[in-house]
Amino acid sequence: MALKGRFGRFGGRYVSEVLVQALEELEEAFERLYPSPEFQRELGILLRDYAGRPTPLYHARGLSELTGCRVYLKREDLVTGGSHKLNNTLGQALLAKRMGKTRLITETAAGQHGLATAMAGNVVGLEVEVFMGIKDMERQASNVKRMQLLGAKVTPVTTGSGVLKDAVSDTLREWARSSRTTHYLMGSTVGPHPFPEIVATLQSVIGRELREQILEREGRLPDAIVACGSGGSNALGAFRPFLEDRRVRLYFVEGGGESLEADNSAAAFQLGRPGVLHGALMQLLQDEHGQVKPSKTRAAGLNYPGRGPEISYLCEVGRVKPVYAFDREVFEAVRITCRKEGLLPALETAHALAFLLNHPEEFDRGEVVVVNFSGRGDKDLETIMRHLYGA
Amino acid sequence: MELEATLGELRRRGEGALMPHVYFGDPSPSFSLRLLRTLAGSGADLLELGIPFSDPIADGPTFIASCERALSAGVTPRDCLKALAGLREEGLRLPVLLTAYYNLIFSRGLAEFCEEARRAGAQGLIVPDLPVEEAGELLREARRRGLHLILQVTPTTSERRLGRIVGEASGFLYVIGVEGVTGAREELEPSTLELIGRVRRLTSLPLLVGFGISRPEHVASLLRAGADGCVVGSAIARIYSERLEEPESTLPRISDFVRSLKGATRRKT
Repeated sequence: MALKGRFGRFGGRYVSEVLVQALEELEEAFERLYPSPEFQRELGILLRDYAGRPTPLYHARGLSELTGCRVYLKREDLVTGGSHKLNNTLGQALLAKRMGKTRLITETAAGQHGLATAMAGNVVGLEVEVFMGIKDMERQASNVKRMQLLGAKVTPVTTGSGVLKDAVSDTLREWARSSRTTHYLMGSTVGPHPFPEIVATLQSVIGRELREQILEREGRLPDAIVACGSGGSNALGAFRPFLEDRRVRLYFVEGGGESLEADNSAAAFQLGRPGVLHGALMQLLQDEHGQVKPSKTRAAGLNYPGRGPEISYLCEVGRVKPVYAFDREVFEAVRITCRKEGLLPALETAHALAFLLNHPEEFDRGEVVVVNFSGRGDKDLETIMRHLYGA
Repeated sequence: MELEATLGELRRRGEGALMPHVYFGDPSPSFSLRLLRTLAGSGADLLELGIPFSDPIADGPTFIASCERALSAGVTPRDCLKALAGLREEGLRLPVLLTAYYNLIFSRGLAEFCEEARRAGAQGLIVPDLPVEEAGELLREARRRGLHLILQVTPTTSERRLGRIVGEASGFLYVIGVEGVTGAREELEPSTLELIGRVRRLTSLPLLVGFGISRPEHVASLLRAGADGCVVGSAIARIYSERLEEPESTLPRISDFVRSLKGATRRKT
């Protein structure tokens, strides 16, 4: 029997009792409001006029030449704010507003989701507080400034290792205190039901556009789609409309970190096993006793020890192939993409590009391959310059 | 002694139950053992023994720090069970509830974990991130081994769910009086007393109230409102956390504190 909120055995709602009511209300509100013509019209207008959708599908000639494939980039970096994150935050902010909430809280790692939440909060008129690991605040200082400029309160998280997983924990704690007035605007396809479903639904706009665009350009579906991820929101957004098209190969690229060794990686599909964190059963980096392990990668946005329940399921049943890219390959992919395409990808996005560039055995010559170009790399400029040029 | 017998006996005497909650291994296993003996000797009626977890989402700052210290001391779930078995061998007779976030149980295997908990001498389990909807399998495995799975109710729990929780619960109900996470608070919230009334009307199960309790006056007013007992956790950790270089030196203060709370449980009428 297919249970609501389950993807195979993954998913569920493993939260403190105090949060169950808020999750039930959210589920009910989403099912009632999201399909309504009014909601669709309002969201559609915001996605078009504010976010800048549809985003283009760009035929990347430089990368095509290098790989021998027909490489297309789905340009989510052109969404206002510089990443796919706004697709989700606009939808959830509208939902929260309709539910009568007065405040949005969320967590962020690379800062892209926090920024997109601050933007969406301002658009619909809701107060915003963003929890951010203290280490990520240092690494992503420019996004912190942008969030503050937009009026969001950025609260440093010092518990644990001061990274994304700790920020999610603190946001859940804050939500337990304030769920009657506050919506937790979950940033990825993780967390307790209904968050994974809501986020994947809102991000699916990527795949729907992509499908139309590739049919128009190539007259057929792509041979492969490549997307980076940890929780899985940009990947599921791109993949979902293609899940039934078994001939379209789907690659999910996680953060390999420095090496595939216990404490130097974020590759949960390689190094983890199913476990429960932040409300859901999912593929999880953990030690032999079930203590969650901190992940490690240079891309803050991939630095999460869990893979969302839906992507965990799709990889388990073989519909999606989980792969990884190492930090050094990622920086090289950034350099190549800058030189060949004149585009600066986010470090997260560069994982997908790195996989394409380094695994010719996966792609036949002439194949049509779409990379979900999930975000731009301005936020990573200093890290990239220091790595590539030592300055 | 078994859990139901202990709570039944207290109820007959018109006395409230006091359950101190500690995370084992904070800051070291040897201190935790001394602390548990002190608590047992200072009037505790039951003990809640927490297994430290890397991501304790239902806990506030005091217990987050406890978990971090215990984990950096290298404490594993197995160490906690061994410690409990050791205390039983020494003659500890109080009912003990083991608290574990669900992944620690899931990771070990539900049946195996329950088996080991029972063998170590636990009477029940408290799983802070397992609402009744997800608890079916663990309820079965626990019951099969004579363990209670303690369910929680909060001010946000709807009437519909309250009915379901009461229907599945055994041992006692853990009443979380506040919206939020664990941590000592200065004042009780009115919502806490209301919730006790709401739940009391539905069930004769013992009600133990936790989260935010730090004073004898709190204990007394909760019992007056119809609770059968209280859980005190962070307020204890806060005392020894002030002297982490020499936590043993705070044991007399902790003992006095627990005695004063226990004293308040005897003034029910």
